Amino acid sequence: MRRTVLGFVVLSLCIVALSFITLVSGPVDVSVGGLLDSPIFWDLRLPRVAAALLAGVALSVSGLSLQTVFQNPLAGPFVLGISSGASFAVALSMLAGLGFGRFGTLGAAAVGSLAVTALVLGISARFRNNTVLLVAGLLIGYFIDACISLLITWSDAESLRVYVSWGMGSFGRLTSDGIWIFAVAVAAGLALIGASVRYLNGARLGDDFARGLGIRVSLYKKLVLLGASVLAAAVTAFCGPVAFLGIAVPHLAYLLFCSSNHRVLLPGSALCGATLALLAGLLPEYPLNAVLSLVGVPVILWVLVRSTRRGGL
Amino acid sequence: MLLNLRQVTFGYGSPLASPLDMEVPAGQVVALVGENGSGKSTLLKTLGGMLLPLDGSLELEGRPLAEYGLRELSKKVALVRMGLVPPAEMTVREFVSLGRSPYAGFLDGRSREDEGIIDSAMDDMDVTLFASRKVAELSDGERSRVYLARALAQQVKLLLLDEPDAFMDIPRRKNLFVTLQKLSREKDMAVVLSTHWVDYAEKYADSILAFTTKGKLEFAPADHARELGLLSWAEV
Repeated sequence: MRRTVLGFVVLSLCIVALSFITLVSGPVDVSVGGLLDSPIFWDLRLPRVAAALLAGVALSVSGLSLQTVFQNPLAGPFVLGISSGASFAVALSMLAGLGFGRFGTLGAAAVGSLAVTALVLGISARFRNNTVLLVAGLLIGYFIDACISLLITWSDAESLRVYVSWGMGSFGRLTSDGIWIFAVAVAAGLALIGASVRYLNGARLGDDFARGLGIRVSLYKKLVLLGASVLAAAVTAFCGPVAFLGIAVPHLAYLLFCSSNHRVLLPGSALCGATLALLAGLLPEYPLNAVLSLVGVPVILWVLVRSTRRGGL
Repeated sequence: MLLNLRQVTFGYGSPLASPLDMEVPAGQVVALVGENGSGKSTLLKTLGGMLLPLDGSLELEGRPLAEYGLRELSKKVALVRMGLVPPAEMTVREFVSLGRSPYAGFLDGRSREDEGIIDSAMDDMDVTLFASRKVAELSDGERSRVYLARALAQQVKLLLLDEPDAFMDIPRRKNLFVTLQKLSREKDMAVVLSTHWVDYAEKYADSILAFTTKGKLEFAPADHARELGLLSWAEV
């Protein structure tokens, strides 16, 4: 209990501090006093902070709930092909010139990720086997990547350049009026998952066990997967295919909070995810995916090694 | 009568045994004995409402089991299986706390009263000493007791146990049977358990259901089981 409260407080302070640093730093020097009057603040820095916060929260919560639903520590929106489904929709709009509009790209990404989620859910119901599930998710991902490469060979140089830069991931692409759409999508995903805490706590021990606790497993499983897909789709649509956070952050949360209770793990993962995303966002001139892995992998390996030395894990 | 079975057949698609008539009053222990694969676990799943009976009537507190809602049933019946694999970071207390899940809202909070029930369930199964250890790090026998404590915290009327003694040494096995007998009387709860230890079943259960050769079922008071030949298949 003390550990939980302390963790929440420290991470929240980190988030406030990192947000502040992001807001006041940048290539253009804006004085702190004149910050609120500057268009750079409203059009560039605030959206950047919002994008990092929302993407960090969304991906970590999405990854955590997928790991719980499929009882698999390797699950995540990327591993299961869910993010690839969203990427395909974005590729269609960028490369094949299918104009989905501003709301449309998010909608198309959501449809793409939901289609893959439904496929993965069908496969998992048939096999009830964790390894098959991961292999199937990876295969679906490869298949979609192949489709995207076809789109790439058929596209012109300009749309290809746009697509490649999107593919590296960035918190800088969000516009100030896009913040609200992104925030609403993330809030919807979080609400679906937040409404299912009792299910998530039982689901760690398997569907039969959860049913024995009076939990309507098939209903809540669909709610959670819907939520996880919406979260992954929103991040893919607004920030690009960000691979690392979804799979790694839940493990950081398990170790930091030493708990399997989703009342602790969900906010814990969200805070860890936001912190790591803001940290990676401090270097906006480099590709986000590269920075996330360069910053995140050492952090998580350090935590892993430390906890094994203490005799944990 | 807590549990009432009339001409119940059970199995996956085709019946595993002859039709079963059985009455279990509250406060009693029933032992299911029989060879591997004779259908003990399938009967336990049927009694737990996880599998519909193929035929016959199965009533809990005078109401057909199939009429109970999922949540309602989880406050009446708990099935405990020992082969469960807990997540690596789950502590004993967190696991036992899952037993209060049927009484919680969708945010899965626990009241002060819930915490008290969790404490006393851990006391009953003698696991309070390692409440903060990880379930995955316990020995098989210790873990079995933790699994039982979860079901006790659920405060059910009917406790179904699938070979709860499988991983226990002789003193702990004896202890388990003594505890189950005591708890069934104290909490006015029926316990139906499967076991391969017929001597313990004979000594501590109130009645025995024997899965004898070729799907025949025999139900008798424990102190008459041997003379009626219910245990002859298990002789060394």
